Amino acid sequence: MSATSVAAVEQYDYEIIKKFSIMAIVWGVVGMSAGVFIASQLAWPWLNFDSPFLSFGRFRPVHTGAVIFGFGGSALFATSYYVVQRTCQTRLFAPGLATFTFWGWQAVIVLAALSYVSGFSQGREYAEMEWPIDLLVLFVWVAYGAVFIGTLMQRKQPHIYVANWFYLSFILVTALLHTFNNLAVPVDLFSMKSYSLFSGAQDAMTQWWYGHNAVGFFLTSAFLGMMYYFVPKHAGRPVYSYRLSIVHFWALSFMYMWVGTHHLHWTALPDWASTLGATFSIMLLLPSWGGMINGIMTLSGAWDKLRTDPIMRFMIVALSFYGMSTFEGPLMSLKDVNALSHYTDWTVGHVHSGALGWVAMIAFGSLYHMIPKLWNTQIFSVKLINAHFWLATIGTLLYITAMWISGISQGLMWRAFDDFGNLQYSFVESVAAMHPFYAMRAIGGMFFLTGMVLMAINIYMTVRRGMREADSAQARAAVAAV
Amino acid sequence: MADNTPGQAQSKGVQTTGHVWDGDLQELNNPLPVWWTYTFYATMVFALVYWIVYPSWPIGKGFLPGMNTITYVNADGVEESWHWNTRAKLLKESQEAVIAQKPYYDKVASLPYDQIAKDPELSSFVVSAGKAVFSDNCAACHQAGGQGKVGFFPNLTDDDWLYGGSYEKINETLTKGRRGYMPPFAEALDPSQIEALANYVYSMSGGKADDSKVAKGKALFHSDTAACFYCHGDNAKGRQDIGSANLTDKVWLWADVPGLADDTAKINAIKTVIAGGLNKGVMPAWEGRLNAEQIKLLTVYVHELGGGK
Repeated sequence: MSATSVAAVEQYDYEIIKKFSIMAIVWGVVGMSAGVFIASQLAWPWLNFDSPFLSFGRFRPVHTGAVIFGFGGSALFATSYYVVQRTCQTRLFAPGLATFTFWGWQAVIVLAALSYVSGFSQGREYAEMEWPIDLLVLFVWVAYGAVFIGTLMQRKQPHIYVANWFYLSFILVTALLHTFNNLAVPVDLFSMKSYSLFSGAQDAMTQWWYGHNAVGFFLTSAFLGMMYYFVPKHAGRPVYSYRLSIVHFWALSFMYMWVGTHHLHWTALPDWASTLGATFSIMLLLPSWGGMINGIMTLSGAWDKLRTDPIMRFMIVALSFYGMSTFEGPLMSLKDVNALSHYTDWTVGHVHSGALGWVAMIAFGSLYHMIPKLWNTQIFSVKLINAHFWLATIGTLLYITAMWISGISQGLMWRAFDDFGNLQYSFVESVAAMHPFYAMRAIGGMFFLTGMVLMAINIYMTVRRGMREADSAQARAAVAAV
Repeated sequence: MADNTPGQAQSKGVQTTGHVWDGDLQELNNPLPVWWTYTFYATMVFALVYWIVYPSWPIGKGFLPGMNTITYVNADGVEESWHWNTRAKLLKESQEAVIAQKPYYDKVASLPYDQIAKDPELSSFVVSAGKAVFSDNCAACHQAGGQGKVGFFPNLTDDDWLYGGSYEKINETLTKGRRGYMPPFAEALDPSQIEALANYVYSMSGGKADDSKVAKGKALFHSDTAACFYCHGDNAKGRQDIGSANLTDKVWLWADVPGLADDTAKINAIKTVIAGGLNKGVMPAWEGRLNAEQIKLLTVYVHELGGGK
């Protein structure tokens, strides 16, 4: 075992993957702490401390930026560089560019967080970064594309493995989305402020075309790529259906592009655009489930692994939450359901059942599988992974249950009329009714964060062990040489 | 394609595609699950139906309007019919509410105040519609139940009224707004005089104060030096024509006397008001923002909150 692994370490470019893996853990802790902080601000508003720098409005994008682009992004860079090398049997193309993607991407996350706290924001959800940071993202992304495509092109395998299709679609579409949604005119060359090239409903449509495809390609396709490598690899079983992977890949990629307008139902958006958003969301259900089926069926026949292997459990629960939230999403995109759910916490709960349940859990499973291999050692503690699994699962369930109750209550309270046709509740009454659920959500987040901290400890100990083993192996080799 | 020979059957006799990556990664060649395929088709049929019912595909400069229509009677009593659209749905629903409420608003406009309050159906309407208007416009300051906030906004549920609690006076307050003012005495009086006045004011509502200071304060109150009685009256019960406070009851607006723990702190709070005066008691005028019926409705609603006279 160790002989082949040592050979593997030389065969592939692991340094860059190690860096990104560590930063995924660091940003996970930072971003989820920010999440717990803002969730607590909603439950206990004194936590804003009357300071603009600590206010919910500025910290919310710090949270979303750190978890999506910091944690999720770093995990994607790490796993994609790992998967593309191992499935193409080649080292990375242009390792210098790959190193640039690391430092550039980390700079983006830090600069974005600092700019949000200082009050700079484009006011576009998940694209709050102002234009200088957007340009840096663009450079990093072009470099990423060059490294990934270059590596694919120098592959020593005749066929491109399915995981790489998903990673590639994520890289291409993210480039497209990022470029068009951030077309803006700076106020002047030395100002952070800029104005969008689009206006009115067209601006909103561009933003949500971006917003939902960020969910679709950054948080779904890319993580499906992760799933397609790490689930069969970890289970030691072949992917269930090659045909299903082809059909659902193209169906998913085609359908996702249309659905952004379902974020803008009941607004100034033209009704026909909103109808198309709703219907393509419905047609997206089965393509999404194709990935879930392929993942879960890959395990069929190896269910016993779930009892003994918490990494496998992370992956399967991730796929289950993926199936659940991709069912919930199309439902919420119907005009009449959306009339109840829009602007409520139901949306927030839906996002988090995807983000915590699917994205984070599949990333946890993959990182737990990959990191010991990178450092050529064993995981420090399987018990800690198990504790992490339960904390994450309970945290996610607390979170989404709280948001379902509060979201549906909000929706019902806002539309409740009495016998005389007057609104039964004022807005502030609905806010007061949310308080227990906001507290419950914050507690759910604390569970999830605690699990993340356990992971950080576990990974730290694992890496330390790996480095010590490498040192002593080197020493032995030196002694032997003498 | 040397490695394209079918791989070993992995399970249930299904073959792999024959490709192997990274040592052991393979793919089975299972067909698409039948239920998956048919459910996928079903979602497409659903989409087709949805496109027929609602406005959908853009064509040229227009779009398919959909079969669904929305019909309603507009404000002029004319029936309008549209292909289904968000704006027509909003107009229809808000128009229906306006029509349903019109008879009640007409009655509120035509009847005198006391008769509105006596009519059970109409007073239920006032409670319902009044709460909605109050919540949107008044609750931000006076709080959802009208209980106000000591130090900022008057309580509307007690029977203490700065400007009068009759229907007419409440209506005047709502329509024209109010501006409370008390001059600061920090320069006109020395600290011991302010201390004495605070003790006297505190004693009037039953607070435990220093007797000698109370006596000195009482004299000052009625003297031309401090001249408190000009505004608050000889009996210190306030004057509603100028909105000066009644100092003899236990109701406090500016100094948080009920909220403080001990007598010294309470007296200090009163001293702060006397020394600094007040120039923040602004109630905005609602004339022009709400219509006459809404203001009349609110008048009855506020009157019924508990303390109307």
